[in-house]
Amino acid sequence: MTTVGVRPASPSARPAKSLRLPAFWLVLVLLGMGAWRIFAIVRDSFGLYPRATAVALGLFGLYAVPFWIFVERLDYLEREPPLLLATAFAWGGLVATSTAIPGNAAVHNLLAKLVSPEFTAAWGSAIAGPTIEELLKTLGIVAIVLIARAQVNSVLDGVVYGALVGLGFQVVENIVYAVNAVAIVGNGDRVGPVVSTFFLRGFLAGLWSHTLFSALAGAGVAYVVVRTDKPLWIRLVVAGGALGGAWLCHFVWNSPLLADGLGGGGFGLLAALLVKGIPPLAMILVMVRAARHREADYYVGQLVALGDPQVATEGELKALSTGHMRAAARRYAHGRAGIRGRTAVRRLQRAQARLAVELSRLGSTADLRAPPLERWYREALVQRYRLVAMGHAEAVVPAHRYSVLRAWLAGAGVVTLVVAAIWLGIRALGGG
Amino acid sequence: MAQHRFARNLAGSLAILATLGGIAYGLPAVDRALPSDRPVTAGEPYSVGGGVTVVPPPHSMIDVTKTRPGSDRGTALFVLDSVRYVIVVVPFAGTLDQAAARLRRKITGSTGYQVAGNERPVTTAQGVVGRQGAYAAPGRAGRYAVFVTDGLAVEVTVSGSGTRFDSAIASVRSIAVRRAS
Repeated sequence: MTTVGVRPASPSARPAKSLRLPAFWLVLVLLGMGAWRIFAIVRDSFGLYPRATAVALGLFGLYAVPFWIFVERLDYLEREPPLLLATAFAWGGLVATSTAIPGNAAVHNLLAKLVSPEFTAAWGSAIAGPTIEELLKTLGIVAIVLIARAQVNSVLDGVVYGALVGLGFQVVENIVYAVNAVAIVGNGDRVGPVVSTFFLRGFLAGLWSHTLFSALAGAGVAYVVVRTDKPLWIRLVVAGGALGGAWLCHFVWNSPLLADGLGGGGFGLLAALLVKGIPPLAMILVMVRAARHREADYYVGQLVALGDPQVATEGELKALSTGHMRAAARRYAHGRAGIRGRTAVRRLQRAQARLAVELSRLGSTADLRAPPLERWYREALVQRYRLVAMGHAEAVVPAHRYSVLRAWLAGAGVVTLVVAAIWLGIRALGGG
Repeated sequence: MAQHRFARNLAGSLAILATLGGIAYGLPAVDRALPSDRPVTAGEPYSVGGGVTVVPPPHSMIDVTKTRPGSDRGTALFVLDSVRYVIVVVPFAGTLDQAAARLRRKITGSTGYQVAGNERPVTTAQGVVGRQGAYAAPGRAGRYAVFVTDGLAVEVTVSGSGTRFDSAIASVRSIAVRRAS
């Protein structure tokens, strides 16, 4: 059954089946080769600049953690297998980066030979970067589809895998840039250039970088896989458009346009960064929001069809749809029943989500005592019993609009923090 | 059905492999097939980047793959038979001593490269004072020079031997900086 862009996995889908696919072994070999090449780069850097390389690995390794958590939680209702998420990240960090190094260099050289060194100095990164890197990262998402097509059930899944491919690329590329900066500065094993690179590429460019671009390309790949109700040519046009959009966002970011800022000083630089970065960020966030709602409607629909208020009441189904409503329901339970109430709501929400996914695979008329369903059905009933015992029978949000207001305030706070962090980054790098 | 799925998976895998191979090996092969040297106009100042110019030695070619002129920095590689003449311009806020130490570290950072003898002062035709010295590398000798002016460091290395080497060394004096008005 395929409805409104969600294609649940077949009940017969098994991870072990991937072992029989050529794509699995190809990806395994490519990851090994990429790991070897990146290891050689890091090993050489350690030999020359042990302290700076260790700091670069540590800083950008930590930097990846919040991004990973955010991306992984985008798809709360239908979580992706951790091994596939790690494969996507590793493709970006090992295969795409190690292949992009000779590819980018060749494109730069060809531009210098066919056009001019002046043109290459100005536009080389804007042309080579998107052309080579977006293609390589998108191949990683295609590889995920070839290995585990059953796990790509919605456009949102493509966004998640794409974002993790991009994150892996972003992290490893930044480490390489950081140790290169140490070599270019030429003052020995100093961490200053690493910290500067962290500010520049982590904070100033981090939000609208590879993670974002590849999320867009991933949505396109997933559209081809999921929207089998559309003719193939339409799906291919959409995927091409998504890849083209990722290319364009990357091109604009790398281009020398507004490189000196809008007007003078730090404010001019900040304005230029926001002008180049905010439109793709906003566009992709809107796309992700639409994909999340579409997926949430589908899975919540499974529980609606079940029609069992012991599993999920009407108010809980409303709360289950979005992240801020789920969080509001947990906070509300905390206020009324303490930490135990919050824990019970969290577990109930998880059980509802897992049950919805299993129902999508087996159908809403499936026997709830059958093994895949029974675990989560029982878990939902257990948590319901606990909530009733605590005097907070429903995992709902308060009747007033406080949670929506709170979500808007939290969003405004995050935007303010991001702009402040970028501003501080510009000041720290001497742009203010 | 299973055979059809396997064949499609194999075709997809081969397409991925072919694309990766094209990027990692095909593009560099095309790059290598095209010549990278271009003649430069004899006797005319060549813009290295950051407002720095140099009059290239006679009969020199520019390697366009190693030449990147920018508004605040730049690199140029001139090739004269076996002689390689490199000029690197970077924004720099330190002293001449610091710039010289930095260039020495870059040179000795390459395996087998050693700085030989003492440094001596050098002055360009424009009057910019710098330092110059010599270095030795496996199979070749070289000279280096460094200047600091107008917030820029200009690093020069020349490696090779023969009359072409001497003409490259002579060209170092033609390095000039276009002052900001």
